[in-house]
Amino acid sequence: MSFFDVFKGEAKLLFSDIAIVLTIFGGVILYSFLYPQPYLKESVRELPISVVDYDKSDTSRNYIFNLDATPQVKVIRQDMNKKDALDALVANKIKGIIIIPAHFKKDLALGKSPTIALGVDNSYFLIYGGVLEATLKTTLTYAAGMKVANLLKQQLPLAKAKEAYTPYSLNDIALFNRYNSYTQYVIPAVFILILQQTMLIGMGILGGGINERIRRKEKGYFVDADVWQIIVSRCILFGGIFFIHMIYYFGFSFTFFDVSHLASIEDILKFGFAFLAASLALGIFLGSIFTSREIATPAVLFSSLPLVFSAGFVWPLEAMPEFIRELALLSPSTPAIQGFLKLNQMGAEFSMVKENYALLWIQVLIYIILGYYFMSKNKRKIDGTV
Amino acid sequence: MFEGFSQAFIQELQEIKRSYYKLFLITLFPLLCFGLVIAIFYKGVAYEMPVVVVDNDNSKLSRKLLFNINASPTIDIVAQKTDTHAAMKLLHSSQVYAVLEIPKHFAKDVYLKKQPSLNVMLNTQYILIGKILKAALLESVSSSAAEVEFVNNLTQTKNPKSALGMVAPVQLYVVAFFNQYKNYFYFLVSALLPSIWQIFIVIATIVSFGSTFKEKKEKKFFGTQHIGAKIVGKMFPYTIAYMILGVGYLFYIYGCKGWYFEGSFLFMVFAMFVTVIAYQGVALLFFISGFDYARTLSLGAVYTAPAFAFLGVTFPIYNMNEFALFWRDMLPVSYLMEIQISQANYGAPLGSELHKIVALLIFWLVFIPVVWRIKQRLQR
Repeated sequence: MSFFDVFKGEAKLLFSDIAIVLTIFGGVILYSFLYPQPYLKESVRELPISVVDYDKSDTSRNYIFNLDATPQVKVIRQDMNKKDALDALVANKIKGIIIIPAHFKKDLALGKSPTIALGVDNSYFLIYGGVLEATLKTTLTYAAGMKVANLLKQQLPLAKAKEAYTPYSLNDIALFNRYNSYTQYVIPAVFILILQQTMLIGMGILGGGINERIRRKEKGYFVDADVWQIIVSRCILFGGIFFIHMIYYFGFSFTFFDVSHLASIEDILKFGFAFLAASLALGIFLGSIFTSREIATPAVLFSSLPLVFSAGFVWPLEAMPEFIRELALLSPSTPAIQGFLKLNQMGAEFSMVKENYALLWIQVLIYIILGYYFMSKNKRKIDGTV
Repeated sequence: MFEGFSQAFIQELQEIKRSYYKLFLITLFPLLCFGLVIAIFYKGVAYEMPVVVVDNDNSKLSRKLLFNINASPTIDIVAQKTDTHAAMKLLHSSQVYAVLEIPKHFAKDVYLKKQPSLNVMLNTQYILIGKILKAALLESVSSSAAEVEFVNNLTQTKNPKSALGMVAPVQLYVVAFFNQYKNYFYFLVSALLPSIWQIFIVIATIVSFGSTFKEKKEKKFFGTQHIGAKIVGKMFPYTIAYMILGVGYLFYIYGCKGWYFEGSFLFMVFAMFVTVIAYQGVALLFFISGFDYARTLSLGAVYTAPAFAFLGVTFPIYNMNEFALFWRDMLPVSYLMEIQISQANYGAPLGSELHKIVALLIFWLVFIPVVWRIKQRLQR
């Protein structure tokens, strides 16, 4: 059988299968818009809180004003007592309560170091972090101002007083995702997984469908063709389609959602080529072992959440059990996410991702061998019966 | 009616007994997925995150400071480099999450009250890791600074109390409501398990109905009478299975792991039941759109896979746009998650949960077109 006939057969099977077309075209495009939706506002802002002011002095009002001015929180109500505020918290109207003690102003003046109490809903960690950060910042700025004022009282000149309020301080510099944008955090990683998973589903449906036909003793190119011809045709087809998808994701989508791309085009293409090759090889292998069209979607779907969370960008690899880290290395998405994030989001040189790059090629080798073995075995079954 | 239900119910049980695939969909596969995410977050707290240090001062004070920082359970100083460039390389290649740089003449400047500042370059691409590390660094640096300041003040005032008052003119006391554990296991796993659970409900329902239609056994299975009752009977083994799995994960989180469940557990189980049926209905709605098994699976995947992102457990709903909130409303699990949080954490009165149950029950309306279309299909 000529290679061209095999290629035509594969292409016909692919494009006439609505489930495959729906996944590798519809799914890829739909996900590129749907997935970023929750994060488009990028960061946590204006979380509703309440203040219980037992002091009611100009000092406490000033503190509340400063707190309200932080981007993270918004003082939406003031309660007369703790109980009212707590009720509002349980009714999910507010996310935090700030309590300013009575005699706050007086105690400050006396150097008695009064305590402001903060209660935060810790059911959602970004909410907790946001309210805490805003309150901490306001309180620390306030304390710093107090210290400078005290030093001024000791007849220190202002410039000196400003410097001397603490022996040393920490200047934190955020690298790579400077504004803590959630889009910038989630999209570059999850999009890589989406590319892999939709490709695997497509190739899995195709391979599983062929295995069904073989079982039903149907005739077709898949019976006559050489295994290599099928593998090469399928890789050209899916590789071509997903190469375009990859350019669409890394080019159009990243630009559209304001995700940074620090890597050079050559590096992205070089690394992307290895990623596509590893995913194609895995797709060939899965297609050879799925016994029906309908196994691919569930199997790939079930692996998605564990794969996202074991890739190391949400939860540190250091805090995961060894066997999880090793299992995750079976999927091209793990080295691909790590490598792409380093190249494109953190501006690493190619030499810094060479381990990820090497692992992708090892996966190519292993999955192609496995795929070839099982496809030949499936074919031997037919040859035996014919 | 009941006869139709029990007939279909028993027939489906036999199907499950015959097919390993269907059996594993309600046992092995979901348990495996649950197990994996539980294992990923099992430690719950990020300990010993690698940090590299460039100590340009190398004085007694800087070494003392580094000792204090390394003592933080969150931070592990894995290397000391002599130049910043070499340290930054480790950061770019993701081998460490932060570079801490101590300036030259640090000790001298502290002594001269020039208030030197330490630079820390944090990898904030990994938002959560960056946040945890930043908080830990701030805490150990500011407490080390406060220690130095306190000693200075003490030599000045000879009074520990006022020396302390000078260090911190205002103090902040923080209470974390509802989840005192500060453990990411609780945050993430308690939302990930329902997200995985809903994927399985939809997939298993599609597999059950899809395989019957694909194998052209539908006429034999449904017959001509009590179609509605038979549809319910066919999906009911899965309802029971996923109720067991659902209550199972609740028991795991709130029983075995010992997180506190403030409100009504029974109500939570009831909400779960309403949710399972809602999801089964939606799965069937996808199926009747064309009675194509593989295509319905694709629809089910698109619908259930991104659900976790819309729950608002990681990124808050306060900052979601209109479309995201709309999509979230289309996912039964978002109501269930709200009920889980408000019952487990707030112990909210049941009256305030009513509208969520009503919203979930609205999903049940999809059974009207489902029964109607399947009837139509069988008559063909």
